Amino acid sequence: MKCEYCDLQDKNEDIIYADEDIVIAVKDKITTPGQITVYPKKHYPIMEMVPEDTLNKCVYAAKKVSMAVFESLEAQGTNILVRNGLSAGQSVPHFGIEIIPRREEDNLNLQWKGKEVLEDEMDMILEAIEMDLKKPSMAEAKEEIIVDKGETQAVLEKEGDNYLLKSLKRIP
Amino acid sequence: MAKQPKSIEDLSPKERKELEEKLKNMSPEEIAELQKQQCIFCQIVQGKVPSKKVYEDKTCIAILDIQPATKGHLLLIPKEHYGIMPQVPDEVLQHLFKTSKRLSQALLRGLKVSGTSIFIANGQAAGQRALHFMIHLIPRKDGDKIIDDTEKLIERSMQEKVRIAVQDKILSLMGVEKQTTLKDLKKDINNELGEDEPEDDEEPKAEVIDDDEDETQNDLEEKKPVSKSKAKKKAIPKSKSKKSKSKKIEEDDGGNSEDNIFDDNNKSKDEDVTLDDIANLFK
Repeated sequence: MKCEYCDLQDKNEDIIYADEDIVIAVKDKITTPGQITVYPKKHYPIMEMVPEDTLNKCVYAAKKVSMAVFESLEAQGTNILVRNGLSAGQSVPHFGIEIIPRREEDNLNLQWKGKEVLEDEMDMILEAIEMDLKKPSMAEAKEEIIVDKGETQAVLEKEGDNYLLKSLKRIP
Repeated sequence: MAKQPKSIEDLSPKERKELEEKLKNMSPEEIAELQKQQCIFCQIVQGKVPSKKVYEDKTCIAILDIQPATKGHLLLIPKEHYGIMPQVPDEVLQHLFKTSKRLSQALLRGLKVSGTSIFIANGQAAGQRALHFMIHLIPRKDGDKIIDDTEKLIERSMQEKVRIAVQDKILSLMGVEKQTTLKDLKKDINNELGEDEPEDDEEPKAEVIDDDEDETQNDLEEKKPVSKSKAKKKAIPKSKSKKSKSKKIEEDDGGNSEDNIFDDNNKSKDEDVTLDDIANLFK
């Protein structure tokens, strides 16, 4: 099955802007009319897989789009939403940033109800997240090894440092 | 503005009156400065208000939301005070997303959830509660129905309208040459409208819009005078100028339409895509 966003790239009439890395499009399946999607041209299923440069370009474009809808669609606000993963409501297996124009009377409710969480539980969650942050980010490590194989090799030889160790240090 | 911020409740009635008087005489910049001092998230950043900090670097911090949508709901906050996304500098915003990417992974792996929602609200209408820009990272599980963002199919014509309404602006913000855009637009509008298009000076449409929104606008102006009235004033000439621009092109192709952008409201409007249509898209 082909990916909907990859398909969309051939259908010129839905596309507002496209360059070698990113696409800005008006989709037909949306939360509210006026919604605009920014996505990388290459197929990356979730945000964790999007290389930094491409993500930066997407973010730059998303900001511009969000500025544009304030004026062109008379939006009074915008929601920026990334559905990352099927259980987050992602319907197309291709990373994208949605810009959703909002007005006071638009009958859209994207708010959640806040829950009370016990102090202990908060601490456990905090610990679990901190633990993971200490581990190297798999996608990043993998990605850089693939992309900069040559460079990495050179660096390795020069510094005699283990790449994984290096990336460990780099991780916050 | 170097005085120590004092909570409003601590003020005596007299002091309070003085403050109100002072606020009246303040410039927008001074008020912004005061808002910063009062901003709870700025105080969290400075460590004056306790929080459960997950991550910190020189640009931003991530904390656990005290009233989370789900367990592990994070708030990623720039240390500098910004109101909404358009005010956040590109590098800061890109850094925040880069950090979101890493934090999202930590949620997926560390908390063993199957998805994350990365969510930003810009403006009250979008549900923004704090005046400090932030990114919400919400761990998601199948069927938790945390955010009601069901998608539905819309009609092709609606898609077209949206695209025509925003394309010009987006392309110019993205730094694309205007000429090509305008040619496209001209083609689009010609296709949509065919021949019959009233020539000039059709103001009534614009007035209708004003009438329609008069009440709400007045109400809103009291509440948030800056954003609403500004958006309003800006939006009308801008979207109108789009239309006048395309018309201009019909008359003399390749002419510089730059002067038209801030043209007054007296130019004609085409029948199909009006501000009303676009406004109604949201209802």
